[in-house]
Amino acid sequence: MKRFVSGAGIGLALVWASVAGAALEGPLVGCRVELDRAVLPADETLKAVVKVTLEAPKPPSDMERPPVNLSIVLDRSGSMNGEKIARARQAAIEALHRLRSRDIFSLVVYNHTVETVVPPQSAANTAWIESRIRRISSGGNTALFGGVSQAAAEIRKNLGESFVHRIVLLSDGLANVGPSQPEDLGRLGTALRKEGISVTTVGVGTDYNEDLMARLAQKSDGNTYFVEHHADLPRIFTAELGDVLSVVATKVNVTIECPDGVEPIGIIGREGRIRGRTVELDLNQLYGDQEKYALVEVRMPAGRAGERREVATARVRYENPFTQRAENVHGRAVARFSRNEQDIRDNVNDDVQRDYNVQWNAAVQNTAIELADQGERREAAQLLEQSAERLQRVGRELGDEDLLRKAEEVEGQAAKLRAEPMSKRFRKSLRTEAYQEIHQQKNR
Amino acid sequence: MNRRRIIVYWLLLLAPTACIGVFGFRLLALERERMAARSRAAMLTRAQTLADTLEIAVTDVKGELLREVRRIPREDRVEALIRWERSNPLVRNTFVWAPGGDGLVHPARDRPSDSEDRGFIARFDALFSGRVGWGGHGAERDAPAPSAGAAAPAAVKGRRWYGQQPARFQRRELLDLARVGNVQQPAQAEPPAAAEGGWIPWFAENRLHLLGWTRERPDGPVYGLELELMAVLSRLVTAFPAAPEDGCTLALLDGAGRVMHQTGDTDALAEREPVLDVSLATSLPHWRLAVYCAAGAPAGAARAFTLLAVLLLAILIAAILSGGMLLTLQARRSYVDARRKTSFVSNVSHELKTPLTSIRMYAELLSEGRVKGEEKARRYLEVIAEESRRLTRLVNNVLDFSRLEQRRKTYRPEELDAAAFVTGIVEDHRLRMAATGLDAVVEGAGQPAWVRTDRDALEQALLNLVDNALKYAAEGKQLCVGVSRRGGWIDIRVSDRGPGVARAQRARIFEKFHRVDDSLTAGKPGSGLGLSIARSLLRDQGGDVFYEPRAGGGSTFVIRLPWRKDEA
Repeated sequence: MKRFVSGAGIGLALVWASVAGAALEGPLVGCRVELDRAVLPADETLKAVVKVTLEAPKPPSDMERPPVNLSIVLDRSGSMNGEKIARARQAAIEALHRLRSRDIFSLVVYNHTVETVVPPQSAANTAWIESRIRRISSGGNTALFGGVSQAAAEIRKNLGESFVHRIVLLSDGLANVGPSQPEDLGRLGTALRKEGISVTTVGVGTDYNEDLMARLAQKSDGNTYFVEHHADLPRIFTAELGDVLSVVATKVNVTIECPDGVEPIGIIGREGRIRGRTVELDLNQLYGDQEKYALVEVRMPAGRAGERREVATARVRYENPFTQRAENVHGRAVARFSRNEQDIRDNVNDDVQRDYNVQWNAAVQNTAIELADQGERREAAQLLEQSAERLQRVGRELGDEDLLRKAEEVEGQAAKLRAEPMSKRFRKSLRTEAYQEIHQQKNR
Repeated sequence: MNRRRIIVYWLLLLAPTACIGVFGFRLLALERERMAARSRAAMLTRAQTLADTLEIAVTDVKGELLREVRRIPREDRVEALIRWERSNPLVRNTFVWAPGGDGLVHPARDRPSDSEDRGFIARFDALFSGRVGWGGHGAERDAPAPSAGAAAPAAVKGRRWYGQQPARFQRRELLDLARVGNVQQPAQAEPPAAAEGGWIPWFAENRLHLLGWTRERPDGPVYGLELELMAVLSRLVTAFPAAPEDGCTLALLDGAGRVMHQTGDTDALAEREPVLDVSLATSLPHWRLAVYCAAGAPAGAARAFTLLAVLLLAILIAAILSGGMLLTLQARRSYVDARRKTSFVSNVSHELKTPLTSIRMYAELLSEGRVKGEEKARRYLEVIAEESRRLTRLVNNVLDFSRLEQRRKTYRPEELDAAAFVTGIVEDHRLRMAATGLDAVVEGAGQPAWVRTDRDALEQALLNLVDNALKYAAEGKQLCVGVSRRGGWIDIRVSDRGPGVARAQRARIFEKFHRVDDSLTAGKPGSGLGLSIARSLLRDQGGDVFYEPRAGGGSTFVIRLPWRKDEA
């Protein structure tokens, strides 16, 4: 991971795509491309961070929101017994009540076998659907793969339509029937994202596999939640549905191209592909009133003082679910080179610096988990401490309260890890936090 | 009743019942086996059909993907492959490999685009580095391609799985999916005729990977894709029936024996040997579809049938046995009744005969004028009168009995002083008692004890008790009749110093026709009706009669009647 020296500089070119108000005129989503330093030191090869921000506006109030095709997958294995399954049922019913008659609702339950309790149908049939949900009882094993597959099959029955497709998976245990490696479920997630289906994973209690749940959500561009106490389930479902109901863009493809000489060397946080000078990122959707960004690290050739050079162009292609038309926006980042250190320092982009450090910290948290898994608890704690120090330093420099608070949190995590072996609860909260940060999840 | 006859009857009843039971259960066992075998056979057929469906679906999708790869134009190959990979759920990775020194063109070996590419290159390193040739090593050669969406074999047609989507629908969907993200110009729609290619089953990290490849000419570049098995599997598992037969599990196993999907009972998987094991090697090498059934687990329908049949059989046997039992009881009761009546008739005849004999003898003596002296003649006449009265009482008893039995007896209840009434009766019969040596004493005669009752009924009941004392307790020399009030009751106690009644007989002596069967009664005539009639009469008056052993030996029969307070 690279560290950045804050420098002086001037000049940053931003190319804005029109974001302003009207939904029908121009693209709905905005795209902004920025550098961590708008002015770069001249006469040296260096690394720079390009931040591509997708700005999703509030859903237009004068248009009906796109219909949602929601499939809830409930784990009803033996471990869900009692209050847990009752809360899950309640959460599903509350989610149902937030939908309108144009929305489609289906519900799949699984233990060792998979059963579609509510076949896909209009969410207006609340009475019948509720009676079906209330009949769900618990017992048996956990066929998670089969459950998600069945839900995907139910979603597919309306795949051709202009719905926002979403599977919400709730599980409290380890998948023990069918493919159960995080990697396997990740591959399923990738395949589902290609079909436009996102899977949001809700882990309940401390016995589920957070790696698997996070991977499935990550690869399919869904959210992930760690619900320690089942009483929080209805709240989480409500938050999740808030996201789903506010989708303003679907099938989002981001392509970042660098000109000759500029070489992308890594994507920080998010998953994407780097092919030569092209970086590709795929998102399934953008939620209303939210910014999502990607950070790409690039190697820049030496520039002469005063020279202006293009660093990256981002092209974003997505589907507008209100008009069902494909829209394109693009943005461009241009850097200026300077020998004046004050100039360089003055043109540091605080936002990019902060986001870069937050993402860096999330990656450190993931590494710390892996180290702790291998029994290297001390090294993991040390890594977290370093990250906390760094967050603190940057936070002070930028005068950013959030970063300082984050630094404190990470410091606490490091101390905890140093004091005692990593508990299941701690591992889950750390993994989920890292994922939510990388994925810039709105509701946590 | 003849005990032997009863045993014979019972044997006649039990033998066929036992036969019905044994044959019934045997038949049931056979039927259950037959049903289990039939449902298992059906299950196997269905599993075989499912296996065929899966094979066809995967084979078709593989063929379709290969055809799609071939439609990709030469000029823009890498870009088109990347676009396809980015959008098609069935494509995990794509590649272009050039023979000779070039090796892997896409993805770039030195700069893989992401971890997925890195894994892909590492996985197929032997192939990409040229250590293993294309087209050898168990690679499936491209089969002559049927046109897309060709009709499925007859075995698959028209079969449905418990109301699920027909598997054919899944297959069509899969085929359509293979074309996603590969939009080509119509000019390139048809693949070059000379193209060769196929699928290579590849095992890395103990997992199956399927690599589809093609090349236009033997020395040309090889390009193709890795199939995303998880996406295919995710589609296939939805074709599984939701619930196979009870006690059975349908499981899809990979080459390492891992369960990829299962439906049905979890317990059945504990069985070591599958009942059916169908290889899916044509499309998914080393994968198989297995059916496990828990030992002895009957199928659902068979279990219900067995339960019902056992229940019916049990009811039948119980009905036969309880019917036999009831008939035996009824026969026994009738037999006892008949015997009592016979003995009653003979007893009554005997009792009628005794006074008649006396009357006839004295009457003949008187009529023949063989009686000397006035005194003697008067005595004879008194005997005749006394015997007639006895006869009357006897006949009254029999008549009363028949009236009581038919509930035709009518009463004329009146207020009377039981003490005075009892004293009167004892006085009337003092002579008769004295003749048998009994001395009668009335106690409590001074106290009036008002009751409301039928005079004749009370007299008859009391006389029956007195007659019994005369008959069986004359040796006791003493008969004490006491009238007393106890609470709301007036008790008339007739006590003697006779032999008393054995404990076992105390309740039964009040039954009709019952006579204590011992040496005491053997010599005395009797109808067995006296106490039974007394009790019936008194109960009709709201009172009762019962037995108490008398302190110091003997019996006490207590007549109890409700006390009329207002008359006191």
